[in-house]
Order: sequence, then structure tokens, then C-alpha cells
Amino acid sequence: MILITPMLIALLGAFVLLGFRNPQVATRAALFIGGLEIASLMVVVWQVHEHGALRVGRYLRVDGLSSFFLINIAFISGLVLVYASGYLRHPGEGRFSSPRWFYALVFVFLFTMISVCLSANLGLLWIMMEGTTLASALLVGFYNTEGAVEAGWKYLMVCTVGIAFALFGTIVLYLAAVKAGMNPAAALDWASLMDAVPRLNFDPHLVKLAFVFVIVGYGTKIGFVPMHSWLPDAHAEAPTPVSALLSAVLLNCAMYAVMRYDAIVSHAVGTGFPHTLLLIFGVMSMVVAGLLILVQRNLKRLMAYSSIEHMGIIAIGLGLGGPLGLFGALLHIFNHSVGKSLLFFSAGNIRENFGTLRMDRVSGMARTLPQTSLALVVGSLAIVGLPPFSLFVSEFAILSEAFSQERYTVAVVFLLVLSVVFGGFSYYLLRMICGENPKNAPANGKLLPSEYSVMGIAGVCLLFFGVRIPHIFTVILQEAMAVLR
Amino acid sequence: MGLVEVATGKILSSFSVFLFLTILLMVVSRRISTSIVLFSVQSAIIAAEAFATAFRERLAAAYVVAALIVVIKVVAIPRAFFGLVSHLKTSTDVKASTTPTQSVFIAAAMIYLSYAAVQSYEQSVHVPEDALAAPVALILTGAFLMVSRNKALMQMLGLLVLENGIFLAALTTTFGMPLVIEIGVFFDVLIGLLLMGVFAFRIRDTFDHLDVSKLRRLRG
Repeated sequence: MILITPMLIALLGAFVLLGFRNPQVATRAALFIGGLEIASLMVVVWQVHEHGALRVGRYLRVDGLSSFFLINIAFISGLVLVYASGYLRHPGEGRFSSPRWFYALVFVFLFTMISVCLSANLGLLWIMMEGTTLASALLVGFYNTEGAVEAGWKYLMVCTVGIAFALFGTIVLYLAAVKAGMNPAAALDWASLMDAVPRLNFDPHLVKLAFVFVIVGYGTKIGFVPMHSWLPDAHAEAPTPVSALLSAVLLNCAMYAVMRYDAIVSHAVGTGFPHTLLLIFGVMSMVVAGLLILVQRNLKRLMAYSSIEHMGIIAIGLGLGGPLGLFGALLHIFNHSVGKSLLFFSAGNIRENFGTLRMDRVSGMARTLPQTSLALVVGSLAIVGLPPFSLFVSEFAILSEAFSQERYTVAVVFLLVLSVVFGGFSYYLLRMICGENPKNAPANGKLLPSEYSVMGIAGVCLLFFGVRIPHIFTVILQEAMAVLR
Repeated sequence: MGLVEVATGKILSSFSVFLFLTILLMVVSRRISTSIVLFSVQSAIIAAEAFATAFRERLAAAYVVAALIVVIKVVAIPRAFFGLVSHLKTSTDVKASTTPTQSVFIAAAMIYLSYAAVQSYEQSVHVPEDALAAPVALILTGAFLMVSRNKALMQMLGLLVLENGIFLAALTTTFGMPLVIEIGVFFDVLIGLLLMGVFAFRIRDTFDHLDVSKLRRLRG
């Protein structure tokens, strides 16, 4: 029951919200349902912390790893809902472009992502992963402009094909499990697989084949280069709260799926094969995205490429493995989510006030939008990995793991890309924040309470986690790491 | 090996040949309606294979899945596609970026490639070579249709062919996945198609055409 509650709240909430035609009522109802949702997720997390892994029926299960991702979903979705309540003052036109549709689709989207984390069965995990694409496609095309329609179509096609490969990988792993003598009913169950892999003799060829398809499939949703083509378009054209959800929650959910498979495959054929693949995709994503950051003109596309780069960092952390690598990767997932949401919120304010996201048309922000400028600077300093912000800690952990394993190539590439990204971010930021005001400069750049409060929370969180990670959070991280061992 | 096993093996092999035939016809067809009919035929062949598997393995769940294929992929989806074609009032040309001759050569090469790809797995899964190569060829052709046809509808059809291949792979190697999962996958495919239909209308309304290769505003 306790596991079904968050799923039910999100799904029923979506239907209830469709009934509110008045935008203000819909917004308030969405905030209320969001509050319930977060509370129910926290109950689940607390139960896992107290009693260990929980299981409901054959298809739902939650353990330390999923509860870590649930915390991430709860925190970011809370910020996004509050931010959206102020942001959605000028909804687009079209059939699915009113606030009630927006919130209903957001809750369906949250439902699918929560279900990804709660599913015990790799088949259900796939179904819900495909569900995330379907639920968010209309949100990406929400504004119904030429760009939004194109981005939505591309997102739908690229991700559906990518995810289809993940289904193929799932089937191959199922085949390997059945051939190895597992009961077909349990052969897709993650916990039974983890239990059976060391005992039974899985065909290594099939397991490796499965992992290749899974990492290509779910990697498409993570945004690994070269399957990333949908990501910058979708992030740039979606409404800003949705961009934040895509970047800070959806990509992590796909990473979660890869982590589950990585654990199985590592037990079956050793860590060498899956970790090398993760390292290759991680380094490729980091290098390509890091270089593409330098040539962007649109602020949200810049941030989208930065997300690809950070997914690369996380993949490198997972690929290095070891206690520090895994710790760094998990911590980085959370830190990147907070930092990237803060950056997207600032980008949303810039778009609201300057009417554009073209970075060459925005300047003199420090004078007209002082609060947003501060948020943008804090967010950017954090996202490029400078101390005292939290992303420095996680990147440092991954880097020390690389050095302690004497993987100097990875470490050097890692550092080079970080410095290139630092250069790119400072170049664009300084131009936007300093300088004269252009003609399209806003007259009144005051932020709404809903906007500055969430930006403040995100900023403080970035700083706080950089100085000292709370004890309870460390414990939860360790519980998550224990699941993957 | 019993008579039934030999017979099913042969039947699976001949079904595969028919599937290769639909693949080759599909890549040369110039009209969307022809492709839709071919997709329906292809799904019917797969449904027949599912029934055969259900009969041989005495799996009640597989009968349900086979019936679902008949209802959804043989009847409902092709009908919906014909509805879309007439509602969108678009030309029936598939807007291929390769000539039919090139397409046949590419499709033939992909069939060859799929035989080559399954060589090393034939021993470990105990399934005839043809039955193993057919799903791979379907997946490759689906992907090829998606990249070489510029009409939005043909891209959707390519995706369905790819999905058919994945389904067939699950059927021939593992006699299908657990029923609940299969139904979930069907549900996802249906919703996905519905959304793609919504986007097809939006593309037509925003751009006045359905040629996806002309959607090139977002780059870099």
C-alpha cells in the first residue's frame, strides 16, 4: 500500500487537475497535490531507511538505491511545481496548452518516473521508461511553435527508437536468464536476478549483448553522445519548468536503469566489460558536449549540452567503480540536479524579461535583473565545479578515484574538459551580466516570491552540500551504494 | 527430435521467408497505402507464428498475445493509419530518399547481414537460423525505413516494423515475455502511435506539409 500511494496520488492527481478550468485554481490544486506527493515519497524513503528493502506484490519493490532517486524526484519536483506556479502566466495556445493540461501532464510524467524507481521488474521498468517519453512529449511541444513541434517530434521518434533497443536488450537478458535455468516468472525480477547471477551459469555472450543494447537504449534517454540529438532541442523548446524536470529528473531515471543493469552484468561477466562501455560513453559525452558548449547561441541549449557533459561525468564515476567513484557518481546525480534546476530557473526569468534566450541579445543583466544575475552566477560557478559548491565535492571524488586507479588518460581528459567548460561558461556569462542594457531590456525585473524562494533554496542547498554533507544524506547514500555491491 | 519439433522448425523457417518478402516489397513500395497493407500482412504472419508457438508450447498466455496482435496490429493500427492518411489530406507518395533499386539492394544487404549477425548465437538458443535472422532483418529494415523516408507517416510505420522485429525476437527465442509485460508493451506502442498522430497533425498545421526532412530549424 505504502508503495502504491505515491503512484496513485500522481495518477489520480493528473485526472483531478484536468477538471479545473480556472488557471489559478488549477495551480493551487497542483501545489496541494504536489505536497501530498512529496509527503508520500518521504514516507516511503523513511520506511526503507528504517526497515530496509520493501516489496509489494510481484512488480513493485523499493530499496536504498531507488529511495535515493525518489529523494531526488521529490526535491526537484517540489522546486519545479512552485516555480511553475509563477512561470505559467502566459500559456501558449492550442489544444493541450492550458495550465490544467500542463499540470496534468507534469503529474503523469512524475507518475512514470516514480514508477521507474519503484518497479521490481525489468519489463515494467522498460514500460515506465517508455511512458516517460510519452508523458513528456506533449510537454516538450507545449508552446506549439515551429521549434516546439519539431523538437517534440524529434524527441518522440529518437527516444522511442532508442528505447526499443533497450527492450531488445531486456529480452536478451531474459533469454539468458531462462536459458540459465531461472523460472520464467522470476527471470525479469531484478532482486531474483541479482540473487541468481552468482549461482547460475549465464551465457556471457548473451549477457554482454543485452548490456550493449540496454546502454544504447537507455543511453539515448540519458543523452550519451552520439544518441544525444534530441536532448538540446527538447530542453531548449520545452517550457522552462519542464526543461528543469527533463534535465534534473528524467536523465537521472534513465541513469538509474543503466545502474541496475550494470550491477547484474558486473556480477555475471565481471566489471571489465560494462565499466569499459560506461567509460567510453562517459568520456565521449564529456568531450563532445564540452566542445559544443563553446559554440552555443541559445542559453538553454548551452545548459542542455552542460547536462550531457554532466551525464558523462556520472557515467565516468560509475565506470571507474570503486567506493569513491560510485559515491561521487551518486552524489553528482543529486548535485547536478539542484545546480541545473537553478540555472534553468534563471534562464526562465531571462526569457520572461528579455523575451529571448539568444545570449548575444542579452546584456547588462546585473543592473536590470540583479536577483536573477546572482542566481545565474551561483548556479554557473557551481555547475562548472568550483569550490565551495557541492559539484566540486562529487567531481573531486570521481577524479581521486581515477587517480587512485592510475587511469591517467581519463583523469586528464576530465580535467581538460572541465577547464574548457569553465572558459565557455565565463565567456558567455560575463557578456550577459555586464555591459550596457540593450533596447529590449525589461523595465521591471522584480521576481515573484515563488521564483526567488525556490532559487534561494536551490542556491543554499548547493552551498551547504559543498561545505558539509548532512549525516542523514550520507547514510542514505551508503544504503544506495550497498544495493549495488 | 520429435516430428512436431521438426515440423514447427520448418514452419518457422518458411514464415521467415514470407517476412523477408514483405520487407523487400515494403522498401520498394511508392505509396503509403501499399506500405500499410504490407505492414498488416507482416503482422498477420507474426500472429500466425504466435498461434503456432502457443499451440506447440501449450501456453494460454501466448494465445492472448496472438489474439492481441490480430486485433491491434492486423486490424486496428492499419485502419487508424488509413484514417490518418485521409484526414491529413496529404499526397500518398512516401517521399523516399533512395530509389527503389537502391532500396532493394540495401534491404537484401540487410537480410544478409542479419544472417551473419545471428551465426554465433544459433548454437546457444537452439532456434533455426532463418527464424533468428528474420527479427533482426525486421529491426534493421524498420530503422532503414525511418531514416530513408521523409513522410512523417512512413517514419511511424518504420517504427512499427522495428517493433514487430523486437516482438518476433522475443517470441522465437523465449516464447514471449510474461503476459503482463507484453500487454504493457502493447499499451505503450498504442499510446506512442496516438501521440505521433497528434504531432503529425501539428506538423501539418504549423508547417503545411508532412515532410519531416524539411524540419531543420533546430541545429547545433
